[in-house]
Amino acid sequence: MSATNQAAAEQYDYDIIKKFSIMAVVWAVVGMFVGVYIASELAWPFLNFDSPYFSFGRFRPVHTGAVIFGFGGSALFATSYYVVQRTCQTRLFAPGLATFTFWGWQAIIVMAATSYVLGYSQGREYAEMEWPIDILIEIVWVSYLAVYVGTLMRRKQAHIYVANWFYLSFILATALLHTFNNLAVPVSMFTLKSYSLFSGTQDAMTQWWYGHNAVGFFLTAAFLGMMYYFVPKHAGRPVYSYRLSIVHFWALSFMYMWVGTHHLHWTALPDWASTLGATFSIMLLLPSWGGMINGIMTLSGAWDKLRTDPIMRFMIVALSFYGMSTFEGPLMSLKDVNALSHYTDWTVGHVHSGALGWVAMISFGSLYHMIPRLWKTEMFSVKLINMHFWLATIGTLLYITAMWISGISQGLMWRAFDDFGNLQYSFVESVAAMHPFYAMRAIGGMFFLTGMLLMAYNVYQTIRQGVRAEVASARAAAATA
Amino acid sequence: MEWFADPENARPLGLLIFFITFCLIVFWVYGSRKRGAKLEEYKNIPFLDDDEVKKDKSNG
Amino acid sequence: MSFKHEIVETNAGVLLVLTMMAISVGGLVEIAPLFFIKDTTEKVDGVRPYTPLESRGRDLYVREGCYLCHSQMIRPFRDEQLRYGHYSLAAESKYDHPFQWGSKRTGPDLARVGGKYSNEWHVQHLLSPRSVVPESVMPNYPWLLETKLDISDVGDRMRALRVVGVPYSANQEEYDRNVKQFGEKVAKTLVIADAQKNLVAQAQEGNYDGDRSSVSEMDALVAYLQVLGTMVDFSKIKPEELVKFR
Repeated sequence: MSATNQAAAEQYDYDIIKKFSIMAVVWAVVGMFVGVYIASELAWPFLNFDSPYFSFGRFRPVHTGAVIFGFGGSALFATSYYVVQRTCQTRLFAPGLATFTFWGWQAIIVMAATSYVLGYSQGREYAEMEWPIDILIEIVWVSYLAVYVGTLMRRKQAHIYVANWFYLSFILATALLHTFNNLAVPVSMFTLKSYSLFSGTQDAMTQWWYGHNAVGFFLTAAFLGMMYYFVPKHAGRPVYSYRLSIVHFWALSFMYMWVGTHHLHWTALPDWASTLGATFSIMLLLPSWGGMINGIMTLSGAWDKLRTDPIMRFMIVALSFYGMSTFEGPLMSLKDVNALSHYTDWTVGHVHSGALGWVAMISFGSLYHMIPRLWKTEMFSVKLINMHFWLATIGTLLYITAMWISGISQGLMWRAFDDFGNLQYSFVESVAAMHPFYAMRAIGGMFFLTGMLLMAYNVYQTIRQGVRAEVASARAAAATA
Repeated sequence: MEWFADPENARPLGLLIFFITFCLIVFWVYGSRKRGAKLEEYKNIPFLDDDEVKKDKSNG
Repeated sequence: MSFKHEIVETNAGVLLVLTMMAISVGGLVEIAPLFFIKDTTEKVDGVRPYTPLESRGRDLYVREGCYLCHSQMIRPFRDEQLRYGHYSLAAESKYDHPFQWGSKRTGPDLARVGGKYSNEWHVQHLLSPRSVVPESVMPNYPWLLETKLDISDVGDRMRALRVVGVPYSANQEEYDRNVKQFGEKVAKTLVIADAQKNLVAQAQEGNYDGDRSSVSEMDALVAYLQVLGTMVDFSKIKPEELVKFR
């Protein structure tokens, strides 16, 4: 008996999902390690080691790229291929193309990280990849869209389940944002260096339209798709209100695209644009909380499981952090609050309460649910999941508390005046005052990373155990035949 | 055409169009009890995929 | 399984189109007008494209990821006015491809750092920030002084910038137009054909890194830092003129 026979007998195409799940864990470890490293560089600058390759400015995009596109992206590819097959009850359309999305995507992450370290950058946050990588992303992304829509079209279920709507809007929005934010003219065909098509204000506007919607669609809508499948599935209860999820979807898809300008309050961007962004940011609170309530109510009948099931805990904490950061976001988009919070660590803390608390935690929950099912086994150790949960929660809390304190004190120190109307603090006094909080942040990150390492070990053992069982059962089948 | 291009007119018009669209979606979703019941049935879709998995288990 | 519906193609298509519509509106409404409304950018004198040396310095600024810790966008608040100077104008970054406004001030804003410190200070600070500012958390950049600036493709770089709209001149007609707009002295620095010559001449004359024998990356970066925020003479502009554009 060969493994191929067994694979052919499978109802769903799991091979590609397995690959992406493994890489999600790998990139999480890599990206979070780099994150802890650059956080430590800010606390203890000698860690830059006078090396161009590891200096903060070049290393920071390696962190953001590896966690957002490496970990987040791989987790989304894996779960979306899983969810679309199981809710459409069909196998993937064009499995060859799906395999291409895997190798293409991994190549993109590696090439991007390498190019940053070597000093190639477009100088736009979260879109630092230079033009040849951008073109490859475009090709991979269109393939992804084709696989996804193709699979939807051959579904055996008349209705398209709402999780797929969120995944679809994430794929479409990312294509749109990526295309327009990366318009650039290369210096020559044989160099990576390029100059963006737009300049100054227009460039800023395009970048933050991209920047915030990378958060809105890549890190929110897509993970809501994850939430709408894995939360009900794991709780063993259907989603609380399907109708609410429909309203949630349309309101979120429509409103998110307006809010990017709140990153440009009080800048040279015309006032009307940033005011519009702030208005939509505040309105966005409603659909965001609608979604959160829908998720929490789905879990609400299964409170008893919360005591025994750490996966469930990951999900409920993820939803709580989602609710918290979608409240904090609109607050920070108010012009008066933004005057204090902008340019400070508060923003960094806000991003991480979303990224660690919501995105990473819902991914951990979903991966812990999905991985044993992919390899037809149980998780190697529930105890380790539980430890991971506590390390991740404590790490996140340490991180965001440190950033709240340092962010607000920076904001206050910068604007403090003495009795004679002079500035009370020099800039560097504010830098010095941040040191303990930068150390605290790095320690929070270490907690989170340690949890992640436990997960990697747990997943490795689970896969080993699954593969062993498969080999054993294949042998047994061969013996009886 | 000129009338639509003027921001003074385009802004409230845009607001109106999107507000009406939103109301229509809400009405479509919550308006009819029958449609509501049908929509709510879709929430069971994630649970329809388990048949084969169970079969797998019974086969050992 | 009792579900054996026909494969409905239109639903997925309709969903796709409607979603695309919903997500397109916001960007269109906010971005498109910036390209058409005339008063996005103020008309102020003095703003000019970067010289070849400054432009190469800017490339290094982007390469090292300076924008991740330093903003270049001063907001109209009293404390920022006192700390950094006049608030930034849209016109001041109109030749910036890409913009480097930044989003974080781990270090101070640099929009008007030009002329505030000597070249020697900048060189020392970039080599070893803590030797001049003990509390600083900035990395050391020793390789800037050790590395000779690659000037072989400076012309190609200016040609690419010309394609995206920076008025570097590739022919007599464009040169004449630049003379009219920026004056002869500036227009000469914008001639693509003379890029390498101009770059070396500026590095020699400015002596940014304290070593005239060759052009280092330090020369370029310091030349860029020294021009930041110095192009507009605010003593000649009435505040009321600027308010209209906010």
